[in-house]
Amino acid sequence: MSPPLATLVLVALAGALFMLPLLPAIVELRLKRDAQPLNVIQQHAGEIRHFANGFRKVAVELQIPLRECIATGTSAAGKLPDGDEYLVLGRADNEPWMRGGKPLAICRVVVAAGIDVVLPDEMTFVKEIYAAGQLTGGKGSTYRAILGDQDVHLQRASKVTRWAHAVGAFRAEHDCDLYGRASSDQEIDLQSGCIFQRLNAPRISFGHPTAAVDRVKSVASDAIGDLPSSPAPIARTLHDENVDIPPGAVIPGSIVTRGKLRIGAGARVLGSAKSDKAMTVDAGAYVEGSLISSGTMHIGRNCRVGGPVVAEHGMVVDSGTQCGAIRTPTTVSAPTIEIEEGALVFGTLWARDEGRVVPKA
Amino acid sequence: MIYCLFAIVALISIYTGRHYGFTLNRLFGFQRHPYIDIDTAEWPDVTVLVAAHNEEKVITNILAALMAVNYPQEKMLVVPVNDRSTDRTREIIDKFSDEHPGRIRAFHRESGKGGKAAALKDAMQMVETEVILIFDADYIPGRGLIKQLVAPFFDPEVGGVMGRVVPLNVGTNLLTRLLDLERSGGYQVDQQARMNLRLVPQHGGTVAGVRRSALLEIGGWNDNSLTEDTDLTFRLLLAGWKTVYQNRSECYEEVPETWPVRIKQIMRWAKGHNQALVAYGFHLLFGKHRATPRERIDGVLLLGVYAMAPLTLIGWFLALALFYAGTAPLHGVIALLAFTAYAATGNFAAFFEIAAAARLDYTRQRICLLPFLVLGFGVSIFSVSRAVISQLMAPLTGAQFHWDKTERFRTTP
Repeated sequence: MSPPLATLVLVALAGALFMLPLLPAIVELRLKRDAQPLNVIQQHAGEIRHFANGFRKVAVELQIPLRECIATGTSAAGKLPDGDEYLVLGRADNEPWMRGGKPLAICRVVVAAGIDVVLPDEMTFVKEIYAAGQLTGGKGSTYRAILGDQDVHLQRASKVTRWAHAVGAFRAEHDCDLYGRASSDQEIDLQSGCIFQRLNAPRISFGHPTAAVDRVKSVASDAIGDLPSSPAPIARTLHDENVDIPPGAVIPGSIVTRGKLRIGAGARVLGSAKSDKAMTVDAGAYVEGSLISSGTMHIGRNCRVGGPVVAEHGMVVDSGTQCGAIRTPTTVSAPTIEIEEGALVFGTLWARDEGRVVPKA
Repeated sequence: MIYCLFAIVALISIYTGRHYGFTLNRLFGFQRHPYIDIDTAEWPDVTVLVAAHNEEKVITNILAALMAVNYPQEKMLVVPVNDRSTDRTREIIDKFSDEHPGRIRAFHRESGKGGKAAALKDAMQMVETEVILIFDADYIPGRGLIKQLVAPFFDPEVGGVMGRVVPLNVGTNLLTRLLDLERSGGYQVDQQARMNLRLVPQHGGTVAGVRRSALLEIGGWNDNSLTEDTDLTFRLLLAGWKTVYQNRSECYEEVPETWPVRIKQIMRWAKGHNQALVAYGFHLLFGKHRATPRERIDGVLLLGVYAMAPLTLIGWFLALALFYAGTAPLHGVIALLAFTAYAATGNFAAFFEIAAAARLDYTRQRICLLPFLVLGFGVSIFSVSRAVISQLMAPLTGAQFHWDKTERFRTTP
């Protein structure tokens, strides 16, 4: 090979080697396989009822067979346009849950009940359930999702794996596991031993078995009223060290500390409180604004908080404590939340990892 | 000469380590999103300022999007800040204002000092609320964005909030695709890591919010600054207010589609950033104020980002000069090992960050464009260096800083 040709080959080979890592780039540039903007505009905007609202379309499709079944007192089966099978219940008996005289263990179809319905114990529903009337679940049963147009009552040790929404009250007996979302347009009540993640209702109580629709109105009188939870321009004090607010003291504005914060028993903070480390709120304290901790948070008995309550590393809420009010709902949020029976939250209670209702000590 | 080179290499190594630290934090560290779950609250009154200077191509989109958000209507007032526009911006704003009485109150500015900060400063006379949100006119907020940006203000330590910027015109050409990758790395990794590590997330001046009382406490908008956002970040920090970053509060923007526009944009950013470095750098590091030690260090590194471009160029020049002068730093072998180690890891740091961002965004193919970022890097390093030189020469040449608005490209309103 002549020297010029050898040089040319060398340059060509070196050029090809240099271009090699650019090949996938050039292909992508030409073909534009991934040139769409990131999909970031969420029309549902995190709305807790998003899936329930979506499933309501299915419930609407089933209205005609539902009415027919109620009128004739029968049950009917069929297929939805998406191919899912459904079972429509127009009467309340155990027949749909029996096969050959034995109870079924798994129900694999969408269930729609036009009447008040009591579901069997120890059964797994792998598709959604719609109830136009009251729905009472069986003990130890597992549900994918429930939409109830009236009250929904889950018996002991039930599980919901995706979501549940009740237009009426939603109650869960002891030891239920509510993964995903649970919401009600009126009231949620969970007994001790229940596990939850995201709850939303005008009123969320723990260990109040007689919760009823009317209760929501009466709560307004014993709630803390319409506290100004908005970030109003009130004075703020900033501390670099741990702070102990003495029992019974009144803090006229907001308080921020880079250390730990303890709000003494019966103390009153007229603004908001923030700590970069652990926060302890002693019994009977009263915070008109928000409570924010970059560490853990322990709210003692019979405290009242007007604004959002956020702890970045876990929260314990004791009995008798009330967050938000019926006319000024709020959010209580932490990765893990342990909430005692007797506590009350108005609005959203959100435990990203796990929330648990514990018995009153 | 060799000690200068050592100093530059040391600085570059610090930034390299920082890139790696941020990326590893995003991939494996504890992620902080403390306010994103606040979805129910007694929402405060809020004023949304929309900075607009000759924005007829884009202003319709943002006003329409703001009218569709899920924030309580009676608590949100939109104030389009029409800054001396000579196109149809005023007409479009007035039309929207008429169509949505009580929800939009136009602020038409017909004279005064140029620049966004000056316009916002004048528009403060329209603001009566404690929470102020700011958008540039080319942004398109989603339905839930306002609540997400307001939520952090329930924290009394928060003075500023910044959301994530996501390019809308990604597929237009190579530049927009590179900017999409850069934005992804900058927000998905860089900003969120600074939030995670309690460092200094930067206020971006758009998709952003500021607490009115905090703003008043630090003296309001600084209309002498070319980047009012950087200036705001550091004045808030020095006064003990936090700026927080909300990675899940995403908003579309339009990125430059031509290189000259991009170069102008990055030169303005560089000049503004360097202004802030001079104004606050020393005081931030050594002064008596409310920033924590880690905020002091990160803040200075953040302020120094644009100063690194000319320093890198000087480093390249020194390395070549020393090589031809026959100097073998650190006895040759050590230098060779250091060079090899850096070539294997250091050069890749920023690319690693962007690749990690693409992975976190679940985007697969666009990561193939990574090698082309060398092009963007090259253009940036020379543009920023040019900006720094012109800034240094300004006292001699008598050149005045002026604010260059970024040109818009959208064709369908």
